[in-house]
Amino acid sequence: MERVERQGPTDGELIARVATGDRSAFEELYGRYVRAVLGLALRRLGDRGRAEDATQDAFVAIWRSARTYDPDRGSGAPWLYAIARNAITDGLRRLPEPVAELQDGPGNEPGPPEVAEREWAAWRVHRALEELPAHERPVIELAYWRGLSQSEIARSLELPLGTVKTRTRSALARLARALEGDGLR
Amino acid sequence: MSRRPPDFDELVGDVEPGERARLEHVHGLLVTSDAPPELSARLSSPPAPAPSRVAVVRRSGRALALAAALAATTFAVGVLVGDRLTDPDTFEVVVLTGTGSATDASGTLEVFDLDEAGNWPMELSVRGLVPSSDDARYELWLTRGSELVALCGSFLAEPDGTTVVPMNAPWRLDDFDGWVVVEEASRASVLSG
Repeated sequence: MERVERQGPTDGELIARVATGDRSAFEELYGRYVRAVLGLALRRLGDRGRAEDATQDAFVAIWRSARTYDPDRGSGAPWLYAIARNAITDGLRRLPEPVAELQDGPGNEPGPPEVAEREWAAWRVHRALEELPAHERPVIELAYWRGLSQSEIARSLELPLGTVKTRTRSALARLARALEGDGLR
Repeated sequence: MSRRPPDFDELVGDVEPGERARLEHVHGLLVTSDAPPELSARLSSPPAPAPSRVAVVRRSGRALALAAALAATTFAVGVLVGDRLTDPDTFEVVVLTGTGSATDASGTLEVFDLDEAGNWPMELSVRGLVPSSDDARYELWLTRGSELVALCGSFLAEPDGTTVVPMNAPWRLDDFDGWVVVEEASRASVLSG
């Protein structure tokens, strides 16, 4: 099984460098988190244009607030999540008030704790996907978000079935390592 | 949108139980997560952070020494003071959170470098406050031990509950331990940091 890990600074180290005005660190942090931030914004705002506005606002807030990050209080991912969530909530406040809809009975929508848990899980998953090498990412995306079987993925990518299986297991193992505890760099 | 989750056994085949549990956990997270969104050209690169809104002040040696000494102190309330000598524009950014009757309010207080006269120029940005009427102003205070000690200015909130307003603190910041925004009349706290 492939065990090559990407080397580089942790998220916390990047945030500390951003606090000193390091633009290259900010760009690297952006690469790691832009999809996670946009995904969270899309979930909360629903509208692509507003979600992109909120994503940009979130990264401006990260740039401006980096000095408030305290590595002794946790890794970078939860801090970034909190800053992004606040920026997106501000975007939500700028939306017009929704028209209330009457429900005939108890709703089946998940409650706030479940929503928060799903959002945090999606945030971690989207961040962890950035750890995958380019040749592993498509097999995960096609399996989980296009609903293709391993054989269909092999045909789609014009790869031997065995290669698809190997890459899939390798990608899942890599994601497991990234998601375990504070495994995110 | 409903989609067919992939067959976990087909994905991983035969693996030892410990590894299987790890991979199954990841599988569960992937199944419940949305697809990562595609990025438009607009988001292909990070936003350019706004340039500083105050001029960089040329300091005398005395002022530089004073500022460096002050930079060695931190507020206890979640504020980390960075190395100001490497970033002469912004001294610190304080994140303010809603309190009391304004739990949905939020704000930031950007404290710029000490000027030669000993003032800390600042910019206060707030959201989610109750809009001000003529006699309903808000005040920004420095606090010590939860007491309002030093006034740094007053302001009105816009009809949408926001405002961005310059402030000033002609005080030694290390004499205090926090910031608070209060309603002028009632002195009720609405933001703190």
